[in-house]
Amino acid sequence: MLKNYLKIAFKVLLRRKFFTFISLFGISLTLVVLMVGVAFFDHSLAPHPPETNAGRTLGVFLVHFTAPGGRDSYSFPGYALLDRYVRTLPNVEKVSLYTFPTTAVSYKDGMPITSYLKRTDGEFWQILGFDFLEGGPFTSQDEKDGNFVAVINQTTRKKFFGGEPVVDKFIEVDGQHFRVVGVVPDVPMLRIVPFSDIWVPISTSKTDAYRKQFIGSFMAMILARSPADLDMIRAEYRSTLTRVEFPDPKDISKATGEAETLLDIVARTFLLDFEGKSPARRFLAWLILLMVLFMVLPSINLININVSRIRERSSEIGVRKAFGASSLTLVGQFVVENVLLTLVGGLIGFVLSFAVLHLIGSSGLIPYAQFQLNYRIFFVGLGITLFFGLFSGVYPAWKMSRLHPAVALRGRG
Amino acid sequence: MAKHLLKLVWNRRRTNILIVIEIFFSFLVLFVAVTLGAYYAHNYRQPLGFSYENVWNIAVGSLLELNFDRDRDALGARANITKRLLATLRDFPEVDAAAAMPEPIFDISKSTQTVHYKGRRVGATVNAVTDTFKDVMGLELVRGRWFESGDDALSWDPVVINQRLAQELFGSEDPLGKNIAPPDEGRESRVVGIITEFREDGELAGLDNYMFTRKKLTGVADDFAHYIVVKVRPSTPTAFQEKLMARLRAVGRDFSYEIKPLPQIRKSFLRISMAPLIAVGIVAAFLMIMVGLGLVGVVWQNVTQRTTEIGLRRALGGTAGSIYGQILGELIVITSIGLLIGTIVVAQLPMLGVASFLSINVYLTGLGMSLALIYLLTVLCGLYPSMLATKIQPAEALHYE
Repeated sequence: MLKNYLKIAFKVLLRRKFFTFISLFGISLTLVVLMVGVAFFDHSLAPHPPETNAGRTLGVFLVHFTAPGGRDSYSFPGYALLDRYVRTLPNVEKVSLYTFPTTAVSYKDGMPITSYLKRTDGEFWQILGFDFLEGGPFTSQDEKDGNFVAVINQTTRKKFFGGEPVVDKFIEVDGQHFRVVGVVPDVPMLRIVPFSDIWVPISTSKTDAYRKQFIGSFMAMILARSPADLDMIRAEYRSTLTRVEFPDPKDISKATGEAETLLDIVARTFLLDFEGKSPARRFLAWLILLMVLFMVLPSINLININVSRIRERSSEIGVRKAFGASSLTLVGQFVVENVLLTLVGGLIGFVLSFAVLHLIGSSGLIPYAQFQLNYRIFFVGLGITLFFGLFSGVYPAWKMSRLHPAVALRGRG
Repeated sequence: MAKHLLKLVWNRRRTNILIVIEIFFSFLVLFVAVTLGAYYAHNYRQPLGFSYENVWNIAVGSLLELNFDRDRDALGARANITKRLLATLRDFPEVDAAAAMPEPIFDISKSTQTVHYKGRRVGATVNAVTDTFKDVMGLELVRGRWFESGDDALSWDPVVINQRLAQELFGSEDPLGKNIAPPDEGRESRVVGIITEFREDGELAGLDNYMFTRKKLTGVADDFAHYIVVKVRPSTPTAFQEKLMARLRAVGRDFSYEIKPLPQIRKSFLRISMAPLIAVGIVAAFLMIMVGLGLVGVVWQNVTQRTTEIGLRRALGGTAGSIYGQILGELIVITSIGLLIGTIVVAQLPMLGVASFLSINVYLTGLGMSLALIYLLTVLCGLYPSMLATKIQPAEALHYE
């Protein structure tokens, strides 16, 4: 039965090539736009290497600071707050502190090279699973001793040394000289937790002022012993923040916040909802709604075309009805036909998305972006395609299946 | 004729309503894209009020010190640093002038303030600059004077404002010498000069009221400024940056520096500012293609379905031109219905005050252009199917079925 439907569908597709083209073009183009969006989202927010322990890692990003007069602000916490209160959290395996990547200037043969510089500690390399191309990470001891050592990425190695092996060579960054201890592959810029060009110990900062800061530009990663501990750690972090003693209570008197994932904090920033339960689900719902809205117009288009195409076949419908086919059977047939059409469009869309993503990746628009179509993106794309097929197929099919056989046989919809 | 077309359209309302919806949506998106484009184009044509050629920007400090401003010890340690950096820079023969300020040029960050005069309150973007700033940026003074070193001794604060702010705050009165500080403020801020313009957010940003206050370098903690602009001699090589950097690092060891030519900063800032326009543009283009293809399909289908009707008209003496007229006319009526609803929606924007940053000219340009574009699209999409309609032979049409 299904085989017959597919055969008919195929013949119908070939009959009116221009309409088939319009449908396929619409489906595949819509799919490309949506897939690029989904790939972007996945690329920046879903766990990818080197975040190999994402399942049991929480982050500290923004903290809500309140001043006595009711003035408040959302800022990155300072080193002092994280060092005294987060590094000492009980029941966690490891805690790493790191800064937001900042730009740093170096000179090579008189020409400036601008790189991103992240300052961090030894635990950073233990929580994140970087694959070292040569050498290895710096250690917590390096951080304690204030050793001028650096891990650099592949591109930096190329810019400074032309790709030669570099371990134990020296690199000048922002006027400071570091001994290179390791080289890692490039990390995409949108993944702000691991991202940088050059990583150096926190203690090599030019001044010690950061050690006293409660508000600053640091973030923290907390690695739990098992995923089951995450809720406990969240609660522990929340209650620890209430115990923070500020050096100048007239300036800041209270800190509140959550230990969470990057998706949570991005959702909070977009929805401006910084308190209580994570709005990540609401954020995802909004994104899905946006996607659906974006699909409305192409769907109306498809419906339009489908109505016309099915109307052409009213005599076929009449014959089938006259021989006893039920409305349901006919709806089934048309929906299967339409889903087949959208699947073909989906396939073209996938191929095009792949090309477009490759193009964006190689254009260097976003540093080190490597968009890959993984199974998550594939399933979203498939879902979109099926949604299209059903949404745009059911209404015209239902409409035509209700034709009276006599009218249909005369061939006038 | 129009009434007749309306009737034809009404008779096929089930099919046509979908097209109306499509036209409505794509008009809304197109309106946003075109209006944004017109807004940018309008802004781009206005003078900047300064020259960025041969100006280098030096950012002092780094993000790591974002909240230094709260830390009094750290502030004390940097009391004299800006003054010393400026003196160092002026020693270079390649440097014509150097000035410091807290807010960067060609950047989204800015600080604003309310100024007062005779009960009138007006908002303005404000920046505190040192005396040489006018020479570095090539500001054009219209009236009065710029800041000078003698101002240190004044018992009030001198300010320089742009023409727009002068007009808005003082109207036809003479602004020079007037106090514009809030009434409860102890110290007066008196206008000493008027400049043509200073658009620190670049060419694409809207026109804004602007005010300069004078940055004194008297050795207190507040002296520190995050940005220094330097006017270098024409054709100074990029390699000079390294020399400059070495001296800066020697003078203020605790700080990070980033030297960038202002034209380069402008270019990347322009690119970032264009991003929303490009995003809306891509969506609009996408929707237009969708709608265009859909229209072709539907009109074509219409024509094949109405072969008998058209054939009959031809048989009764209708010319090819009149067939063209009918098909396109119907299409235009449908489009107009969609656009009418769209225009009613868009007309609410100024009433709701959503688009207050748009001048009436930009708004009308956007509206007119998007209407014209949609009409153009529909006519283009109707041309080929209506040509097919004119090819229908009366004889063939009449025994169709």
